[in-house]
Amino acid sequence: MSPEDKTLAVAAETLTLGREGGALVPPGRARPGWEAARTLTLRLGSIVMMLILWWIMTFFFPPSLIPHPIDTLMEVGAIVNTGQFLSEMGSTLRRVGVGFAIAMLIAIPLGIVMGTIKSLENFFEPPVILGLTMPGLVWAVMAIMFFGLNETSAYAAVSITILPMLAISLWQGTKSIDKDLIDMSTAFHASAWSKVIDVIVPQLISHILAAIRYGLGLAWKVVVVVEMFGFSNGVGYQVVRGFNIFSMKQVMAWAITFLIVMIVIEFGIIGWLESRVTRWRPRIDAWRR
Amino acid sequence: MAYVRVEGAVKYFPREDGSDMLVLDGVSFDTKEFGITCLLGPSGCGKSTLLNAISGLEKLDDGKIQVVSNNAPAGRQAPRLGYVFQDPRLLSWKNVEQNLTFALRGMRIDQAEWPERLEKYLDLIGLTEFRRQFPLYLSGGMRQRVGLARGLVIEPEVLLMDEPFSKLDQLTARRLREETLKICDRLKQTTVLVTHDVEEAAYMGDRVVILRSRPARIVGVFENPLPPGRRDVDDAQFIQFKKALLQSVLKNGKG
Repeated sequence: MSPEDKTLAVAAETLTLGREGGALVPPGRARPGWEAARTLTLRLGSIVMMLILWWIMTFFFPPSLIPHPIDTLMEVGAIVNTGQFLSEMGSTLRRVGVGFAIAMLIAIPLGIVMGTIKSLENFFEPPVILGLTMPGLVWAVMAIMFFGLNETSAYAAVSITILPMLAISLWQGTKSIDKDLIDMSTAFHASAWSKVIDVIVPQLISHILAAIRYGLGLAWKVVVVVEMFGFSNGVGYQVVRGFNIFSMKQVMAWAITFLIVMIVIEFGIIGWLESRVTRWRPRIDAWRR
Repeated sequence: MAYVRVEGAVKYFPREDGSDMLVLDGVSFDTKEFGITCLLGPSGCGKSTLLNAISGLEKLDDGKIQVVSNNAPAGRQAPRLGYVFQDPRLLSWKNVEQNLTFALRGMRIDQAEWPERLEKYLDLIGLTEFRRQFPLYLSGGMRQRVGLARGLVIEPEVLLMDEPFSKLDQLTARRLREETLKICDRLKQTTVLVTHDVEEAAYMGDRVVILRSRPARIVGVFENPLPPGRRDVDDAQFIQFKKALLQSVLKNGKG
């Protein structure tokens, strides 16, 4: 093949490529600045709506039941300012983080094994399904009775509660992976390790990200319960303290700080992680309105 | 160099009701050395099963398949086979170059040889400027090129191709056929290509093995009268060869 006709061939296909690339982002929506502004307006709008609804409710209930939004937000500011926020939230985050990491480290291999080996799927299915139906509160009580009131019980309660959910997500994800790619890797004599790392895990990325989202949501709920039982720090403890002095303002203020942290994690950290690990996937938004 | 000898290949597939269906009924043939052997037959006739049996993805129930190689390096037990699939089957999360190194690593090829090989085959297949691109950003034709490069970069004794052009649009398929033929000829690459397209078989095949379906059985083996460089779809001799293949397929293929 002479160099000229190769160049020709490639130039022609680049052209096709350019057209295909163009189709991914329809021309009518190709104004990223506007698009981002609209998305932001809609999101902020929904938050403002919630605040207005809250404010309206203050007309019908005494402040001890529904405190004024402004007072509550001031309380949030005070919590953040005194530095109390960092230490309490730090304790809670550490419990969630460690418990979550333990659960994930077990769930990924367990899910992959269940999705690929039929006999192990049959063996592990009952405990996973049973674990899923067990209320987090029961795990929390059992962990505290078993380990005592220390960090270990918090880690154990969090990881046991979310493990079945993570495992199911990865198990189903593994079952849906592309068998043709496994055949391809067999044809090129890829090692078992390479099949897992290069072929299976990347196909599970979207399932892993979904599992992280659900898993964290569940972990928050359990950790607060564990902390309520008698820890002397953490967001759950602060909520109980607010309850003991019957201060709805404090309970709500701590709940709000909690929400803020979750939003940062959801949109900031997980969103960033997602865009990083899915760089290879073109964004196709064309079908959504 | 190398060729494949298939002797009395028999394969059954289990049916839903538990009985067995005969897919390959004692298929025997030799491929050419240094050239493309096409397996031509109607869809679902067992061609792909045969190809998978050659690659070792599928076990035969009887018969044997041998890759006869005169110059395989000493100490290597299994012959090296490259595979090009109907869909490109690329790892979407790896760029073009990483898709090739995935094959090089799988085949345990010495890492010192990688840069030179990548250079050579990316250039040969016209992918050099796309080496860092991810597959989903490439057109269908480009993706199939990457698949071809992956099959070749391991420098296989035999390259196996399973209807590699059938999912491409006509123009892209035509250009890719032309280039593949040139490349295989230049590399003296022993190749087995499965197809259901008579013109493709006449154009690509130095030897064409015709199979009838259910169960697959060989009904004819044809040698191409034209060398790779002289095959032109409008040439009288080419048209005559194509007709001969078509007649053989129509006379024997049922389905």
